[in-house]
Order: sequence, then C-alpha cells, then structure tokens
Amino acid sequence: MAGDPSLGWVLIAGMGLAAFCARAIFVLPGSRLRLPPAAERLLRHAPAAALMAIIVPDLALVQGAWAISIDNPRLVAGLAAFAIAAATRSILLTIAGGMLALTLVRVLAG
Amino acid sequence: MRFQPGQIAAFREGALASAPLLVGMVPWGVVAGVAMVAAGLTQAQAVAMSVIVFAGSAQLAVLPLFIVEAPIAVMLATTLVVNLRYVIYSAVLAPHFQHLSRPWRGLLSYITVDGVFALFAGRFPPGDQNPHKHWYFLGGSLLMWSGWQASTCVGVFAGGLIPKGWSLEFASTLGLIALVMPLIHDRAVVWGALAAGGVALLAVRLPFNLGLLAAIAAGIAVGLAAARLAPRKETGKE
Repeated sequence: MAGDPSLGWVLIAGMGLAAFCARAIFVLPGSRLRLPPAAERLLRHAPAAALMAIIVPDLALVQGAWAISIDNPRLVAGLAAFAIAAATRSILLTIAGGMLALTLVRVLAG
Repeated sequence: MRFQPGQIAAFREGALASAPLLVGMVPWGVVAGVAMVAAGLTQAQAVAMSVIVFAGSAQLAVLPLFIVEAPIAVMLATTLVVNLRYVIYSAVLAPHFQHLSRPWRGLLSYITVDGVFALFAGRFPPGDQNPHKHWYFLGGSLLMWSGWQASTCVGVFAGGLIPKGWSLEFASTLGLIALVMPLIHDRAVVWGALAAGGVALLAVRLPFNLGLLAAIAAGIAVGLAAARLAPRKETGKE
C-alpha cells in the first residue's frame, strides 16, 4: 500500500495526461497524417504484451520469488480464470470464478 | 444556440446504438471501483481517477503495480502502453473531426472509448460527408462515460464495506485476464503475449521497472516476428 496519499494524486494526474495524449494525438491537431502500416502493426501487439507482463508476475511470484507450484493459490486461481475467460468471454464469470478458486484453494490448503 | 433536428437525431442514434455496450461495461466499472479502493487509493482518489483518466484497462493495469509500490514512471509508461490502441483510433477519427473547433476536438478525444469507436468506424466510412456524425459519436460516448462513472462509484463505495481478508485486490488481476483474452485472438499475438509473460518472470531479478519494460518490448518483438513468419494466418481472418 502506498503510504503517501499525495503519490496517488501525482499518479492520477500523470495517468490522465497519458490517457488524453494517446486519444488526442491526431484528433486535437486536426491532423491529416496517416499511420504507416509498420507503426500500426507495432501498436496492435503492445496492449496484450503489457497486460501479460503485469498478469504473469502477479500470479507466479510470491514476495519477489518464483512460486510456480500448485501450493500457490493465486497461480491456481489465475489459471482457472484464464480457462473461464477463454470458454465464456465473460468478465463477470472470470472474476467470480477466479475469486471462488482462490478461496477454495486457500480453504483446502489450510 | 438551438440544436438542429439532425444533431439531436444523430445524438440519439449514437446513444441507442451504444446502449447494449453498457451491459458489458457496468459490471466492469463496479469491479474497477472495488479494486481501486482495495489497492489503497482513497475513495476520493478512486472517483477522481475514473473521471480524469477514464480508461478502464489502464486503471486496472496500474493497480498491481501501485500495490507493490512500483516507481511512478513505470506506472505512467504502463498507462501509455495499454492505451496505445487509442493512437490508432485517433488516427482514424482525425479526418472525421477535422472541421470542428478545438474545444470540440478536445472533448471528443477525452471521451473516446473502444466500443463507440468501433460503432462509429462501422457507421461512417472514411470520407463520409454526414455533417452531424460528431453528434453520433458524442451521444454514444456520453452514455458510456455516464455509465462508467456511475458504476465505478458504486464499486468505490461498496468496496469500502468489504473486509480486507477477502483479497479483493486480486479482482483487478482477474479483470486483466478477462481483458487480455479477446486481444489474443490471432496466433502472432498469442506468441507475443506468452513471450511478454515469460520475460517478465525471467527478468524478476532486474529492478522491477526494467523487467516490465523488457517484457513488453520482447512481447512486441516476438509478436511482430511471429506475424511475419505466418502472414497468411493473420490476414486470413479478414
């Protein structure tokens, strides 16, 4: 948890600027520029890569060390959530199923 | 100034076309609200984040980093990368809104969301001369904006009532899993996503910021390489 509340405000202001700039970059200047196809391909791959780079360590690391084992409740619940998301494409079912799996694994483990 | 009938009709058409998108967005907004508070933002900050940033995937993506106290530059870089798709939207929208005043273009930029962009791009092909099309965009976008603010507020205030022991902050990671799945529909993106996840794990010994950025770069590189090696599979979807 962030101890310093002002850090949250700095983050919010910076994120707001970053989000606005991405949306406004061509619209606000009234640009006629077209993105080169190479840039468009690159931009298409970025979001999935970024999300996976956040998800995987959050599931598979415990206090900064690898925890790739069935004893890691977050990893088991996360894999269950991937399966549910692939099968149902439902945000609600993915989150509910993942939380349920997390609880079940914790209860069974101890 | 009075609104012309064509403006009102376009506004209403955009709002009606976008209304079904609320079904998917409202639960998502509630989860984002709960997750922001669970991650340690105050309620005022969580509400402000929804209004100022107004980007669900970026809001959720930053939370696991906020919890581990990642450097602020890393969180901002993550916001930018997750929002790179908006650069594509901006390029597509710019010719449609070119004739509008600067405040209009600023407003329409701020309020851009995935679903309404997709509807708009389908309804108005490049070069379309409809003079009221920005009202269509505004109608749909304002509806989504209102739905997002209302649903995150519900989550923010409900989230404060839920005990910490329930590990609700994990809901933001689960939400990201639900979000990444529709993105990885073609094989090249799957390889890129797997590479990003793998490098993020391998790079755990690096200072945290370098690991995340290296993982994203590796994911993009592998994805592009995979698309080049099997170009027919990717374009065959059209």
